[in-house]
This record gives sequence, C-alpha cells and structure tokens, in this order.
Amino acid sequence: MLKLHNMYKIYQTDEVETIALNGVNLEIAQGDFVAIMGPSGCGKSTLLNIIGMLDNPSEGDYFFFDENIAGYNESQRAEIRKQNIGFIFQSFNLIEELTVAENIELALLYHNMPSAERKKRVNSVMDRMGIAHRANHMPGQLSGGQQQRVAVARAVVGDQPLILADEPTGNLDSVHGQEVMELLRSLNKEGTTIVMVTHSPAHADYAHRRVNLFDGHIVTENTRAA
Amino acid sequence: MLWNNIVIAIRNLRKNKVFAAINISGLALGLTIYVFGGLLVEYEESHDQGFKNTPYTYTIGSVASPMLDVGVDRFNAVFMAVGPIIAAESPDIAAVARTRGIEYLVSTGIESFYENIRFADPEFLQIFDFEYLYGDADALLDPTGILFTESMAIKHFGKTDVLGETVSFDNEFDFHVAAVIKDVAANTHFHSILSDTGLGVVAPVRALNRLRDYDADAGDWNNLSFGDITYVMLPESLDQAWLQSQMNSIYERLVPDSQKEVISAFEVNRLQDANTAVWDMIGLPVIGVVSLLSLMILIIACVNYTNLATAQSLGRSREVGMRKTMGATQRQLLLQFLTESLVIATIAMVIAIAALEVIIPLFNNATDKIMTLDYLKTLPWLLLTTALVGLCAGLYPAWLITRTNPIEALRDTARKGRKSSKVRSVMIGAQFAISAFMLALVTIVFMQNDRVKEGSYIFPRSEIYTIDRLRVEGISDKLPTLRRELEALLNVDSVAYSSQVPFEQNNSQLGVSLQPGDDAGEFVLMNMRMSPEFLDAYDIPIIAGRNLGEEVSNDKQTDDDTTALNVLVNELALPLFGVTRAVDAVNKRFYSTDDDDGTSREFIVVGVVPTQNIVGLFNREKPWMYQYVPESFRIGSVRITGGNIMDTVENIEDIWNRVIPDYPIQGRFLDDVFEDVYQILRLMNAALAGFAFVALSLALIGLFGLAAFMAAQRTKEIGVRKVLGASSLQIARLLVWQFSTPVLWALLVALPAAYFGSRTYLNFFADRIESPLPILIAAGLVAVLLAWATIAGHAIRIASSNPITALRYE
Ligand SMILES: Nc1ncnc2c1ncn2[C@@H]1O[C@H](COP(=O)(O)OP(=O)(O)OP(=O)(O)O)[C@@H](O)[C@H]1O
Ligand SMILES: [Mg+2]
Repeated sequence: MLKLHNMYKIYQTDEVETIALNGVNLEIAQGDFVAIMGPSGCGKSTLLNIIGMLDNPSEGDYFFFDENIAGYNESQRAEIRKQNIGFIFQSFNLIEELTVAENIELALLYHNMPSAERKKRVNSVMDRMGIAHRANHMPGQLSGGQQQRVAVARAVVGDQPLILADEPTGNLDSVHGQEVMELLRSLNKEGTTIVMVTHSPAHADYAHRRVNLFDGHIVTENTRAA
Repeated sequence: MLWNNIVIAIRNLRKNKVFAAINISGLALGLTIYVFGGLLVEYEESHDQGFKNTPYTYTIGSVASPMLDVGVDRFNAVFMAVGPIIAAESPDIAAVARTRGIEYLVSTGIESFYENIRFADPEFLQIFDFEYLYGDADALLDPTGILFTESMAIKHFGKTDVLGETVSFDNEFDFHVAAVIKDVAANTHFHSILSDTGLGVVAPVRALNRLRDYDADAGDWNNLSFGDITYVMLPESLDQAWLQSQMNSIYERLVPDSQKEVISAFEVNRLQDANTAVWDMIGLPVIGVVSLLSLMILIIACVNYTNLATAQSLGRSREVGMRKTMGATQRQLLLQFLTESLVIATIAMVIAIAALEVIIPLFNNATDKIMTLDYLKTLPWLLLTTALVGLCAGLYPAWLITRTNPIEALRDTARKGRKSSKVRSVMIGAQFAISAFMLALVTIVFMQNDRVKEGSYIFPRSEIYTIDRLRVEGISDKLPTLRRELEALLNVDSVAYSSQVPFEQNNSQLGVSLQPGDDAGEFVLMNMRMSPEFLDAYDIPIIAGRNLGEEVSNDKQTDDDTTALNVLVNELALPLFGVTRAVDAVNKRFYSTDDDDGTSREFIVVGVVPTQNIVGLFNREKPWMYQYVPESFRIGSVRITGGNIMDTVENIEDIWNRVIPDYPIQGRFLDDVFEDVYQILRLMNAALAGFAFVALSLALIGLFGLAAFMAAQRTKEIGVRKVLGASSLQIARLLVWQFSTPVLWALLVALPAAYFGSRTYLNFFADRIESPLPILIAAGLVAVLLAWATIAGHAIRIASSNPITALRYE
C-alpha cells in the first residue's frame, strides 16, 4: 500500500537542527495493523504525519499505491489524503462548538456527498460505535472514552482504507483504552489498514507488526503471526 | 478591593496590548465624536446667553403657506407692518424692535466699503444690552444717528473714538456716529449661518424714510426676508403663550387677505432658538440629526467594545474558573470585570478629551465659532457618559463569563461559545447596519447634491461675471455707457442687466389672469426684469415669436407708462393660455391686478423661451415672465468667452472705475453666486460623510479585532477540518461567510431605513435623483466589500496554515 524509502525529516530552528527522521525505510501492506513504538521525541508523530501527508519529508521517497507523492504540494496531498486516510488523535481534536453527529459528519463534508447520504452514514457509524444516544451532545459533555469513540467514528465514517492513530489511548484509562483497541481491531478485520503510535506494549500487542523507533531510526521490527 | 481590581484591570490591559489598543481606540473615537457632537449642539442651542434680556425676548416668525412655494417652510421674520401693531395693541409689552438688513456703500470720505446695514427700531438697544465704548442706548433715537461696532469703527476710521464723525450711505445720505459698542460675541444669533456678517453697523429704521422714501412707522405688507427679525421683549409677568395668542389674534384681524394666502400663521419663538431657526426654516432637522448621529457613533463604539470584550472573555474562562474554585463569588468577579471596563472607558474618555482639546480650537478657527470645553460645566455629563459607557459596554461580557459555575467555566466553553457567538453576530450586524445606513444616506445626499450641481450647468456659470448693486441713482443712469464700453472688450460677448441672476434666492411673483379684473393670483408667474441681451448672455433661445428689443416702444417699460407691455414667457406658462404649442401663445394677452388701487395691467406675449430653473437649487421649475424694465435693473451679467479670464475681469474693473468712479465694483462670477447657497448643502454632506466614515471605521476596527480573535480561537477547528479534507479555499470561504451573514442581515435592515431616511432630504428638492435604489445597493456592496477586505487577511492566513501546527499545540 505504501512504501517509505530513505526518508529524512529535518527541523531547522533558530539554532538547533533536529533530525526527526533519519533515513527511514518502511513498507506497509494493505490490511496491515502496525504499531509504532519508541521513547518520547524519537520521531513517531513526525513519521505518522508524513505517512498521513500532513507534512512533507525533507528528503526521500514516499510511494502511496505506487505513486511517488514526496514532492506533491499541499492541495495535491490533501486530495489523496481525503480519499484514503482517516485520523485519530491522542487529544481527540473534536470541535467543541459542534455536536457529536456534526463532528462526525465533518469528515464527509468535504467529499461532495449529498446531505441525506451523509446523515445515513453518520447514523450507521454512530450505531456501530454505540454512541447513537449521544448524537446531539457536545463533546464537552462526554467522557474521554466516549470522545475518543466519536473521534474513531469520525475517522472511519469516510470508509478510507488507511487509518492513522497517534496515541489513541494516551488520554484514556485502561478500560476505555481497551475498548478503543477492540474497535481498531475489528476495523482491521474488516480490511482497514491501521498504523498506530502507542507507548503501551499491551496495546501494541493488538497489532500484527511492531516498529521500534529510536532517534529517527527504525531499530527493530517484529512481526507477530496473526 | 476596588484598588485591587483596578490594578488587576491595568495588568490585564498590559498583557493584551493589541486588543487593549483596539478596545480603547474604538471607544475613544466614539466618545470624541459623541462629546464633540454634544458640545456643538449645546453651543448652537445656547446662543445669546450673554444678553440679560434673552429669557424674556421672543422673535416673531411666519409660517409659509403652500401657495408661497419658495422651498421654505417658515421664516423667522414678519412683514415690517407687524411690529408697530404689536406695540400699539399691547402697552404691557416691554419693547418691540424691528430690524431689516440692507446693503449700502458706507463712506467716511476717505474710504468706502459696502456694508450690510442693520436698520433697527430704537428699542433694539433696550432689548440688547451691548457694551458701549462711546455713546449710549439712545443712539438710534435720532434718525441720523448710527451705531458702529468696535471692529467696524477700526475698519472705516482706523480708530474707535469716532463719536460724532460723519459717514455717508451711497455717497448721498449723511449720518453721524452716535455710539460705538464692543464687538458682539460669535455665539449670538447675529452670527447664525445665513447672516454670518454679524452685527457691524446699526442705523434707525426711521432713516429709511429718507433713504428710500419708505414709511418706516407704518411698515409694509410686501417684503419678507430671512434676516429681518422682529423682537418682542415681554415683562416677567407675561409668557410665550400669551404672546402667541396675541399674534394669532393680530393675524386673524389685521393681515390683508392677499398676504394670508402666502403666510398661514405667525409663530412666536424664543430668542434662544433664533440661532438654529435657519434649519426649521428650510425644514431640515440638522441639529437633531447631529445629536442622533453622534449618539449612533457612540453606540457603535460601545457595541464594538462589548463585542471584542465578549470574544476575549472566552479566553479567560479558565482564569474565572480558577478564581471561582478558590472562592470568589460571582458578585466579586462581576465587579472585577466591570472595573476593567470602567477603567477602559475612563482611559478612552481621557484620550477623547485630549483629542477635543486639539480639535475644538481647530474647529473654532475654521468656522469662526467660540466653542469651549468647559470642564466645570460638563464634568457631570462627562463622568456620567464615562460610567454609562463603561457599564453598558462591559456588562454583557462580565455577566456572560461570571455566570457559570466553576467546573463549567474550567471545562465547558462550548455552549457558551456558541451562544455568545450568536450575540456577537447580532452586534456586528448592528454596527454594520448603522454604518451602512449612514454610508447609503451620505451617498444619496452626495448624488442629490451632484444633481443640483449638474442642473446648474444649464447656465454658463463660469463665463458669467456678475456686477451687483446697480440700482443706485449714481449708477443706473450710466448703465448704457457701461454696457457700450464693456461690449467693446475683446473677450466680452454680451452684457445684460436684470433684476436677478440665476441661483439668487429671490422669488418675485405676480398673480395674473386672462381677463382684466378677474381674481388675479390664480396663476402665478415668476417675474424677471431684464434687458434683451439677457437671452444672449445666458444662451436662452427663442422658440416662438421674437425677443424684446429697442425698436418697438411697448417692449420696454418706461417710467409711468401703463399701456400694454410686451413680454416673453417660458413654456411652463403656456397652460395659462390653454395652449400647448409655443407659437399659439404668441400675441396672447393677460392681466395682473394691483391690490392697492384695483387697476389692472395688460401684458402681451411676443415670444416664448424654453423652461429653465432660474432660481435653481431646491426649487422646482416654474412659469416665468420676462419684462424689459430698466428701472428694476439691479445686477449685470457680463458673458466672457475665450482669452485670459482674469485679464478680462481686470479690464472690466478698469472700465467700471472709469465710468463709475464713485462706487466700488461689486463683481463676482456666477459660480460664486451658486456656491453661496450650495455650500450649505456641501457642508451638510461633508459632515454626514465624516460621521459615516467614523461609523464605518469603527465597525471595521471591530470586525478586524474580532476576526483576529476568532482566527486564534479557531486554529484547532480549522486544523481538524483540513485534516478531514477541507481545502484552503473552502476554509477561507467558511470564515468569510461566517462574518458575512451578519453584515448581510445588517444591510437588509439598513438599506430600507436609509431609503426612508433619505426621503426627508430628497423631498426638500424639486428636482430629485430618479431612484436611490441603485445607490443604496452600491453603498451596501461597498460595505460588504470593505468587510471582506478586513477579514480576508485573517481568513487567508489561517486557511493556508499547515494543519499540524494548529493541532500540535493543543
Ligand atoms: N515543528 C517542529 N519544529 C522543530 N522541531 C520539531 C518540530 N516537530 C517535532 N520536532 C522535533 O522532532 C523530534 C521528533 O518529534 P515527534 O513529535 O515526532 O516525537 P514523538 O516521537 O512523537 O514524541 P512523543 O512520544 O513525545 O509524542 C523532537 O525532537 C521534536 O522536538
Ligand atoms: Mg508524538
């Protein structure tokens, strides 16, 4: 599905130059479930952002479905991103002024979809996530676990083949964390490719593959039999 | 506690310097305009307070009937015959004084100047307690006595000690100086907008017996002029209502029927209102409008502040939550936030006052006013305004933020954000409604004024050099010579004499009928007296018949000749004869009836000219008659074409000085005659434009601040939207649209309001712009475009930012 080749990301600030990614090579196949692990500051989020096309690498090639998108500009990347990638963030990033349903619908808003169709898909995904009864609540009125479910619902409602999750359980207790991991696993079973950053070895165990990052290098890769 | 609050407030201002600057400057601007407007209105409405009899003194005005049709609702003047009647009927009245302004050439034998002489009854000096340098209040008892103001004396004699000196009027009539007074202050009605000549030379009304064979004791029922005020001073025991009833009774019993047709009532006004009477006269509520507009500006500024403060307070809900958690009560917090807005209002007021200290002297300089910012007198008003502004503007945000319980304040800003954003939209809408209203109004006024100006170009305004004051014995017999010499000049086309020139607000009317002896007055003709060259000088073609001339004896009115007079009429006069084609009017006869002796005068139409709006400006086109009456020539028109105009004017002056050496030339271009009246319109338009500009600036400042704030507030949301696939264009559109909806709503309210508001102004004119609709739409469009331009910067900046920067720092 996607392949990173000799990927560098260098942040140039006033005085220091940070090498966040230092020659990363990574290939992810369709239907994979990958966990990225490593100490704080090793470049996990940077890697995920680049995979998610939110950011451009400084150097290296990025093949997405055999298309090298490394040099694409913002709007070209946005187009591919829109069709293919859903996001889940550690801090949920729900919009506080919108209801649960509206937050989820937001993911379809920019897809040229008729309103009725959007409503239908939002309702079905809320049913699936068990948050239908919260449809008209504001995010501020929900618990963290519930909020993250909304975020997951928002990530999957567009039916994108790839979901990127940056510490999706980071702000959740173990029970709610487990719930979210179960959701991700079932999504993966249905064919969605998932790339997830996590600090929790237990949650990493849900993945088929574990990628360990250290100072911008991939140090080990373990694959677990499904 | 209070001090503590003030310290916190100031600390908060210093923390958010940009927002504080926007908040304060907006409020300061609003306060400056409001206080200035208030001072100006107060100044205009409190004239004449320096005279001790002002509270007991009234002026008598006349209400114009629709018949009069000269674009004026009321005059602060009555016929000269009225004053003596009032005095004779009520011996209780303390004093009655009539005045009339007439221009004369005043000479000391060494130097001569034209001066507007105020002829007044001797009681004038009882009513007004002027400060006498020489002489006393008996100065006008002697019909040859005359009073000078200090600066007038210096102008004519070079000194003030001139008691007993002799001066002559029009080189013919001698007077002696009987008193010299200190100059009259600028804040008296003598300096009001239409008679800004002030008070210079005062002569007895009785002198008119000698000057123009006028029966001053009886007065007349013919002449009504703006500046000719009749004053009545009452004893303390009588009041305005009593005087009004006296006047009603005099009107009923003693006004001749013919005058009742043009004057529908007398009205008694306080002397105090004489200064602003000019606006009542033309029916434009200028003083009220100034009050209203400056209040509107202040409201915009307050709303502006409320809006920004509300938006910013959301960012402080965490602070409020923490304070509440630590035990602050809502009352205490409310107090804290209100202190903050009061501090801001106070700073803004201080800035406003500092600004006014600069503005008022400049304004005084430009307008010859003597406005002052009297702190002692205005302090209560200023304090009250500051307090009200601080409270009104700060109450909503303070209440909004302190109302919630601590947990909600810490956590749930969402619902609050949603609700207050609606209120904010309404407030932005209100600001834009007011400024779009003003913008539309000012545009309509501008377009209407422009139309008036365009309409004035039917006359060759810049090519006509007018020479005024020809109706003096020493001049009128030299007019033929003057014309001959002037016409010989290289660039002079033609020279015409007439009783008036275009744009002069004279309305000489004559009631006429088709049969002699019929009730004259059914058909009213405007009456122009002119020499035949007038048509030439003003490019007026003959469309039927012929021009008047020297060959046919009945073309020209000579002395007491009462046989039929040949005249020209314009096309609007055709209905009098029941014809529609101009040729059919030629040779038609009509008659006027003299009210005094019942004899009627016969006129024969020999030519027809196209209709032209001679009086112009506010007036509609009217039927006119043109007669050749040399006796009535008052003003000359010299048509200059080609060459260096200034050289030609110099040549004209040279010839004048040679032919008529005893009188200085009173020449100016027709352009200036037009400007005389037009400048009032232009002034109003400029003032209105100033208000609109300030209102719009305030609204834009508010919008800018709010957009900046919202942009900061919404970075996260925008980031999420972009991650979810929104393009930069879509984001920009979203932001622009969010701010546009209230603006569009505002237009929906403001434009119809402006439409109706502008009708007050347009109704004032006979020749109006067709439909103000396109103008309204254009003004609305401008408001929207300006709003867009203001927020576009923010919208584009955040729309094109990288989403991860937005999401990273959550
Ligand atoms: N915009 C930026 N400018 C400068 N340096 C950056 C920027 N973003 C990330 N970095 C640096 O790049 C390195 C990698 O950052 P990254 O956010 O990928 O770490 P991470 O592995 O996700 O850490 P964590 O587990 O704490 O989230 C860090 O040293 C960080 O300081
Ligand atoms: Mg990270």
